[in-house]
Amino acid sequence: MSVQAPPIHAAARAVAASKIYGSGDTTVRALDAIDVSFEQGRFTAIMGPSGSGKSTLMHCMAGLDTVTSGQVLIGDVDLSLLSERDLTLLRRDAVGFVFQAFNLVPTLSAIENITLPMDLAGAKGDQGWIDEVVGATGLADRVRHRPNELSGGQQQRVAVARALAGRPQIIFADEPTGNLDSNTSAEILSFVRRAVTEMGQTVVMVTHDAVSASYADRVVFLVDGKIVDELADPTPERIRAHMNQLGA
Amino acid sequence: MLRLGLKSLLANKIRFALTASTITIGVAFVVSAFVTADSLRNTFGDLAEDINTGTEFTIRGQLAFGDLTEGIAPPVPESLVERVLAVDGVAAAEGGFFVDGVVPVDGSGVAVTSFGGPVAGSNWTVDDEISQFFLISGEKPVGMTEFALDVGTVADYDFELGRDYEVITPTGPRTFTLTGTMQFGFPDNAGAGATFSLFEKETAQEILGYGDEYNQIGVRVEPGADLDAVEQQLAAVLPDGVEIISAVDATEEFNDAFETFIGPLQTILLAFAFVVLFVSAFIISNTFSIVLGQRVRELSLLRAVGATPAQVRRSVLTESLAIGVVASVVGLGLGMAGALGIRAIFSTFAEGLPSGSLPLNLRTVIWAAVVGIGFTVVASLVPAIKASRISPMAGLSDQYSTTSQRGGPMRPVVGAVLLAAGLALTGWALFGDFDSATPLLVSLAAGGAIVFIAVAVLSPLVAGAIVGAISRPLPALLGTPGQLARNNAIRNPRRTAATAVALTIGLSLVTMVALMAESLKVSFGERFSTAVTADFVITANTAAGLPKPAGAELRAAGLGTVVGFDFDRVELTALRDVDGIVTELITDVTAVNVAGLGDVADLDITAGSLDGFNPAAGLLIHEDVAADYGLDIGDEVVLGFVSGDERVVSVEAVFARTALWSNWIIDQSLHAEVATTAFDDILLMATTIDDPEAARAAVDRVLESYPQASLDDRQEFQAGIESNLDTVLVISTVFLAFALFIALIGIVNTLTLSVFERTREIGLMRAVGMTGRQLRRMIRWEAVAVALYGAVVGLALGLAFGIATITAIPDDIIGTVAVPVVWLVVFGVLSLLFGLIAALFPAFRASRMNVLDAIADE
Repeated sequence: MSVQAPPIHAAARAVAASKIYGSGDTTVRALDAIDVSFEQGRFTAIMGPSGSGKSTLMHCMAGLDTVTSGQVLIGDVDLSLLSERDLTLLRRDAVGFVFQAFNLVPTLSAIENITLPMDLAGAKGDQGWIDEVVGATGLADRVRHRPNELSGGQQQRVAVARALAGRPQIIFADEPTGNLDSNTSAEILSFVRRAVTEMGQTVVMVTHDAVSASYADRVVFLVDGKIVDELADPTPERIRAHMNQLGA
Repeated sequence: MLRLGLKSLLANKIRFALTASTITIGVAFVVSAFVTADSLRNTFGDLAEDINTGTEFTIRGQLAFGDLTEGIAPPVPESLVERVLAVDGVAAAEGGFFVDGVVPVDGSGVAVTSFGGPVAGSNWTVDDEISQFFLISGEKPVGMTEFALDVGTVADYDFELGRDYEVITPTGPRTFTLTGTMQFGFPDNAGAGATFSLFEKETAQEILGYGDEYNQIGVRVEPGADLDAVEQQLAAVLPDGVEIISAVDATEEFNDAFETFIGPLQTILLAFAFVVLFVSAFIISNTFSIVLGQRVRELSLLRAVGATPAQVRRSVLTESLAIGVVASVVGLGLGMAGALGIRAIFSTFAEGLPSGSLPLNLRTVIWAAVVGIGFTVVASLVPAIKASRISPMAGLSDQYSTTSQRGGPMRPVVGAVLLAAGLALTGWALFGDFDSATPLLVSLAAGGAIVFIAVAVLSPLVAGAIVGAISRPLPALLGTPGQLARNNAIRNPRRTAATAVALTIGLSLVTMVALMAESLKVSFGERFSTAVTADFVITANTAAGLPKPAGAELRAAGLGTVVGFDFDRVELTALRDVDGIVTELITDVTAVNVAGLGDVADLDITAGSLDGFNPAAGLLIHEDVAADYGLDIGDEVVLGFVSGDERVVSVEAVFARTALWSNWIIDQSLHAEVATTAFDDILLMATTIDDPEAARAAVDRVLESYPQASLDDRQEFQAGIESNLDTVLVISTVFLAFALFIALIGIVNTLTLSVFERTREIGLMRAVGMTGRQLRRMIRWEAVAVALYGAVVGLALGLAFGIATITAIPDDIIGTVAVPVVWLVVFGVLSLLFGLIAALFPAFRASRMNVLDAIADE
């Protein structure tokens, strides 16, 4: 296992990050002294079998959860030093989220969902950028609709747009296409890919699907709370080969 | 399945406690009502038995009409005692008195007054068996200079045996030496809140103004004598207009007399209990609906693995049964505590009333169980049936929340039909003809309840629009949390409506009471200020009124015109010339000094004149009754008095204004011929002294010897009446506040469940950056929006009901609709506070929710 020295342009990184649940005999090490860094302007996929700790890593990196030991940084901010309130403000201002399901507030329209984080901040947002993001979703004519009036794929596009709208330092996506058929998945992943390539965003995506992961610039493999391997410029075939090799 | 229902309860203890508490309060109210009434019944029942023990028969004047509560029986002649004693088997017979309004003044100059029990004068009898009084200390009073007092009064006021005190009797103030203390009923009885001044028989006769008469004659029969035979012989010696009643009948009569105020008291308390239970039923139904909606998956899984609809239904009903049982048991205990509280309130009005232990009758326990379990189970019936209809496939769909928004297409129809039925019933109650109050009140209550159910059914149809309008300023005022609060309040109109309906009911009743009290106040004020021109209004701090000598002394002092007003119950037969009888009714006449009436009141005479009024045979009538009974100047009317005497009077004038007098006015000199008239209820006085301060001082000097008198100028008197109405309003509001409290619990319950239901949504918002403060603000203002919706509908309904009721009430009682703006504003602000308070717990819970758990929730 080789670990690169953190590059200067890391959007987020973990240093010897461990997450331990329980104590004594029932101790579970969800994360085991992980060092990892996510570079700016790149699309990273985190892969691993169930229970490998990939969701825990994402939650800790995103400030939704805290590590037991070690450090997690977004930009230069050490999350372990932040209060619950400051963590919330950090998520609001510096992090974008796309979840697998239930991404949108049902009582808000698509556009209200997209601007929710900046509305909560009481900020105006960059209207030109928001228009651009909305235009990229292809949903410009449906932004006044409520989530239940949109298809699953459209809902996920709105979720991605929300993550992009505030131009966060980093976007975390947790199985964003887990509930979608393959055509819709491809559409969403292409959208995310464009966001990285054309808009310069930083995206970290948790997935267990090799095809999805192949949209990333880099794949990090996690087993038993440890990073065991990684792959640059992946293809589905190479990813599957690595997965088999890891016995997952 | 039974275990499942119970497990679901135990898993949600707080919800269980909140839901059960609503019905518990209702049960407690029912229990308090019964226990309080029973406790009063026991007190008076014991007393009735005590005072009739040893007296086999009572002989008294026949009541011409009505019953004991409407008038004291006419007196019987003293000479009758001799004839009674001559009857075989009679061991003893003695005359006695009971005259209300005999006021002793204590050593500190304080008059013993009360609006609770009577402040009465009576006599002790030589025969201890017949006596209703028992000597406790000192000596029985003898002669014209001695008196005794009941022990309670001596204990509560500044009295000492052997000293002289003034007693204001119907024949004027007199001085007596206090020789002893006595007890009405047996010594272990507290005297039921009455004050008694006791004199020797002959003294009583003179000072109470009875001459050679008694109120009644008590008869003791020789041991072993045949009661029936004695009764027959006694009946044979009685003159016309005098009757004999047995001890059993006397006891019953006594109890019946008190039942006429205990019964309504119990009814009023039960009415409040009904409101509370009714409101609770909505809360319970709503809670069950939401909870079962959230358990769709679980219930459909049960159905999928083989539970029948009946089993699902039973598991829900088991849950509600358990709530009902717990609520009944706790409510029973709470109700007993409540009865203690009510007793404490009573005893501030009437000492020692009621006394003894709190009686818990089987009837009370049964009612507690019936209403506690009944209301809970009935309220959960619809949710239970709906739950049993959940398909086994329901849980497989991804739809998480309950999506029933506005209900089926039948909702407007059902609502409209219910509303029409409720309004029809209410209208019938308000404007129909009823012989007694009971069917009126029952149809009014049933009509009101149906209207409220209709409102609950229809409310979801308008809730979205109204809540939307109410909460329109929220986004601008509070930003995104305000926007989200507004959206949440609108998102499920059915739930919002069901949550708000409890507050709607409570507030509409409070509003209606406030509107009626305000209108009554304004109407009275208008009538009083136009009709009464007197400088002073003199009343007494006892129910009996002021002894006539007070008025006489004022007249003698030459300070101006003094007119006494004395109300009496009469049987009135209106004759129209030769056409014969037009109508017969029992009504109130007012006996006044007509000669001075024009100086103290502006009656607005519309026909005839007060000049040359014939005191012996004249009658003044209000234009309304003139119109109702087709009476005109010169028409003759027969008045039958309690004494049995009849007088024919003729209409001499028709007046348009009323205030302190009834629709029929006769002269006091006529009244004195046909009734024992020892008191004036009110004195109106127009002084000839220009300076108000000097006038007041002069009047005060005359009234010094009547410390129970209360002297007010017109403004003070009007303010006093208004403050009494305010007191009634405050008391009713306090009782109705229980319904409002339950509405509060309802909002807490719904909001807590909604927050639970929106766990993932809240988790999402927290993840993307909503702060705990923003989250709490969102929930708080959702609650406020719901509460204000309930308030707006409640205020509107309350005003509508109030105006309808006022329309049905005769104009001479409430003629003006006056909207109590200040109260309405207070109710609105209170509702806003309610929302804020109701949101405290749910908001706290929501902000404590773990974000990870929330978004990982699957």
